[in-house]
Amino acid sequence: MWKLCIKNFVRTSVAQVGISAVLIAGIISLLIGRQHLVKQQEAVKQTMVAQNEHINRNKEFFSAELGLLFYYLKFSLVNELDPINGLSIGQRDVNPSIQSVTIRNLENQRYDTDLYNPNVLHAGNLDLSFVLLYLFPLLIIASCYSVLSADQEAGTWNMTRVQARKPAALLWKSIVIRMGFMFSLFFVLIGLAFVLLPLSINYRILLFVGTGMAYLLFWFGLCAFIISLNKNSSTNAMLLLSCWILLAIILPAAVNNYLTSRYPVPEALSTMVEQREAYHEKWDMEKTPTLKAFYKVYPEYEKYGYPQENFSWLWYYAMQHLGDEESKEQSASFMNKLAKREAAARSISFFIPTLHTQHQFNSLAKAGLENHLLFLKQTANFHESLRKQVYPLIFENRQVDEVNWKALSVQKFEENQHNDWVPVFLPFLVFILGLFGISWKRLHSMV
Amino acid sequence: MLRRSVCWMLARHTFFLSAISNRPVQFLIGLILLLLLYANISSSTQYRQQITTQNYYRELVRNHWEEMPDKHPHRMAHYGYIAFRSIDPLSLFDRGIDNYAGNAIFLEAHKQNTVNFSEAGLSTGLLRFGEITQSMVLQLLVPLLMFFIGFGAIAADRENGTLKILFSQGTSWKELLLGKSLGLWLIGILFLLVGMLLLVGTSLFIPELEMNSDWWVRVLVLLLLYSIYFWIIAAITSWVSASSKSAKLALVSLIGIWLLMGIILPRAIQSGASWVFPAPSKIHFDSMVEQELIKKGDSHDPNDPYYKALKDSVLRAHNVSTIEELPFNYSGFQMKEGERISTELYNKQMAVLMGIYKKQNNLSSLTGWVNPFVPIRLCSMSFAGTDFSSYTRFQEEAESYRYRLAQQMNDWQIQYISNKKPTPGEKGPAISRDFWKVFPEFTYPSTSWKQGLNEAGYSVLMLLAWFLFSLWLLIFRSQKLNAL
Repeated sequence: MWKLCIKNFVRTSVAQVGISAVLIAGIISLLIGRQHLVKQQEAVKQTMVAQNEHINRNKEFFSAELGLLFYYLKFSLVNELDPINGLSIGQRDVNPSIQSVTIRNLENQRYDTDLYNPNVLHAGNLDLSFVLLYLFPLLIIASCYSVLSADQEAGTWNMTRVQARKPAALLWKSIVIRMGFMFSLFFVLIGLAFVLLPLSINYRILLFVGTGMAYLLFWFGLCAFIISLNKNSSTNAMLLLSCWILLAIILPAAVNNYLTSRYPVPEALSTMVEQREAYHEKWDMEKTPTLKAFYKVYPEYEKYGYPQENFSWLWYYAMQHLGDEESKEQSASFMNKLAKREAAARSISFFIPTLHTQHQFNSLAKAGLENHLLFLKQTANFHESLRKQVYPLIFENRQVDEVNWKALSVQKFEENQHNDWVPVFLPFLVFILGLFGISWKRLHSMV
Repeated sequence: MLRRSVCWMLARHTFFLSAISNRPVQFLIGLILLLLLYANISSSTQYRQQITTQNYYRELVRNHWEEMPDKHPHRMAHYGYIAFRSIDPLSLFDRGIDNYAGNAIFLEAHKQNTVNFSEAGLSTGLLRFGEITQSMVLQLLVPLLMFFIGFGAIAADRENGTLKILFSQGTSWKELLLGKSLGLWLIGILFLLVGMLLLVGTSLFIPELEMNSDWWVRVLVLLLLYSIYFWIIAAITSWVSASSKSAKLALVSLIGIWLLMGIILPRAIQSGASWVFPAPSKIHFDSMVEQELIKKGDSHDPNDPYYKALKDSVLRAHNVSTIEELPFNYSGFQMKEGERISTELYNKQMAVLMGIYKKQNNLSSLTGWVNPFVPIRLCSMSFAGTDFSSYTRFQEEAESYRYRLAQQMNDWQIQYISNKKPTPGEKGPAISRDFWKVFPEFTYPSTSWKQGLNEAGYSVLMLLAWFLFSLWLLIFRSQKLNAL
């Protein structure tokens, strides 16, 4: 019986055309993911080389004055890439993975973006997460929508019902076979991903695969539920397609519109303006209050006193830092607002499987807003540690060779959030059990 | 011979019987109308928020600029300016790439900063699912509804035998196809008109939004383009319905077309285009500019041959031996030259980068010849002033403003600042704050309908080609269809 069912399915054009189309799309998506990883890794490599060259060249020109030398020097912090990012590019194409900062004020540099083509971002990426989120459900719908109704319409169902001992089991068999094919396809793609991308088996990738499987199961549950409504094929197709449009297009977009207008971020601009004012006004002010304010933040430098000459690097970097200090409030509320957006998106996504899946993928790929916010925070820490290393040297007017250049190489930031598996699977579990439970009951009472 | 009355009768029949008086369809129509309303409300909320914030900060930035005290011009060049990308009033209708474009850029001497704070950069990954705008509803959801309503327009008649009766009464294929398409088209037009009325209504209530004649022209052009688009969709629907063996097959084909052409291919092609024409990363771009700059001469390097030669020639021309003896400020002069060179090199690299982006975009717009969903998307963005070119225009305007600002400050430095360094305790050299007001505010004209046409020209052509093709299909190819 199994054999016959399998044969039956394999012979359909949906199986042949659909599966190969998704397979091809999947392979292309992996290649695109690989290109993304390669581009990012190249950029990291280049950053290391460029930073060294950049430092050495500037050392030649400005060796006489450390203050001037560090005015120009840029130091980079890399937001480490997880190879899973090749499966789910997420926001890593919008947000830069490398931050290069000088020791001048931070707020003026922290939000610099990468270069990109807005049209490409607008169209979205064809990565594996897209194939999983959008294409797999379509394939599942196409293969399942007429599981019962096609037999009814062809007039063969009554015969089957009479002859089979458990006709409902036969229906489940058909669904399980389709599951088998879809999961095999999914695993073939994951297998290929291991070949094409530098993935290794770890907790995160297992969670990724698990999320993908749960998402596919959710769609099978939805199909089983629609089948159990016992409508004709066209109605089933329309209903399932409407679910797809609702879950993959309308609801996410509507939620996004809501979040954007619910949490506007004028703080972005106020930070930018305030930081610039706070720094530049110091040029026209007495030097002592500026230095006093600076020493209030860093009492350890008070020993350098209050030089009154026209220009001193101590005063200059104090002015620069006060730009950050005085825009701290705006900057904090800016970050706060973004965190709120993220939290709101997170809670809404528990109720919408497509959003939930994408959120999980992005978070496992370290490519979501959460990761970006951590990176921005880490950039601030990086900037501060740089300044603290360099300030005393500048203020004491040391020589270039007295700087520990090795300590000033490219730094890396790795997000170490632990992804708990319970909140990942719980929403799926509710949906899957609910849908399968209801359809099980309905199908058994019906046939 | 085409009898108009027959066409009208068929159209009315399609419009009223299979659409307006059908329960599930009524439900879908209601749903889409609700979405149009939602799109309108959320776009206008977002627009108002953005425009209020921007206007506030634009004024603030200008006031701060004018209130700056007497300063050395070079300090002012570093104080710089903040330019904001203006938001087109028609982004209410089609947001295009707006959310992916940065909103503010800090302009200062020596350095070309990035345009920061795009909505996408501040967004959770959700934005990548797309957003609900009027244009999205009209471009994607209304056609889908037309497919749902129209898949059986002819195929169902064939299945239940009414087609034979119609033909025996003297109706021709032409009349049938044109009539049914007309009926379907009217459904599309219904949504279009509702959408446009909502747009005009909301715009009237936003005081910051100026509805000038250009705005009206662009709205009318959009109305016209979308009407053509809906005709093409209607024609495709009735053609597929007429040439499919059964209504079910027609539905499957139409849904397939919608998914492939409307959702999957545009993304796949644009994504693939950036794979075919890879663009450099920022770090790569910056180091290319830096390399070129070093080749040309490094103004930071006191012993750089280019700047040494420049200094020598200036001294010789003025017949003096030291900089202090020059009648003008030499460091201003050197910075002016440095700014000119670095800007030239930067612009050169930028042009290369833009060339790559354009290649990527052209590849995907080229698919409009085979995909009717593409041309309307492009036209719509261009006339709404939210396309790629509207963004690059801002970038170019901002960069040229930055250059003018830096050079104006250099000029003032050359003219008014002495070559002598101040002695300790002496106040540094400065020029009067009255100068700041002289330097104009950053403004640039919003997209006009002519610019829209200029950008959209090619896609308008593709849309018209699709229109003619659809007419040809219905009128001349219909004789070959099978009535049974």
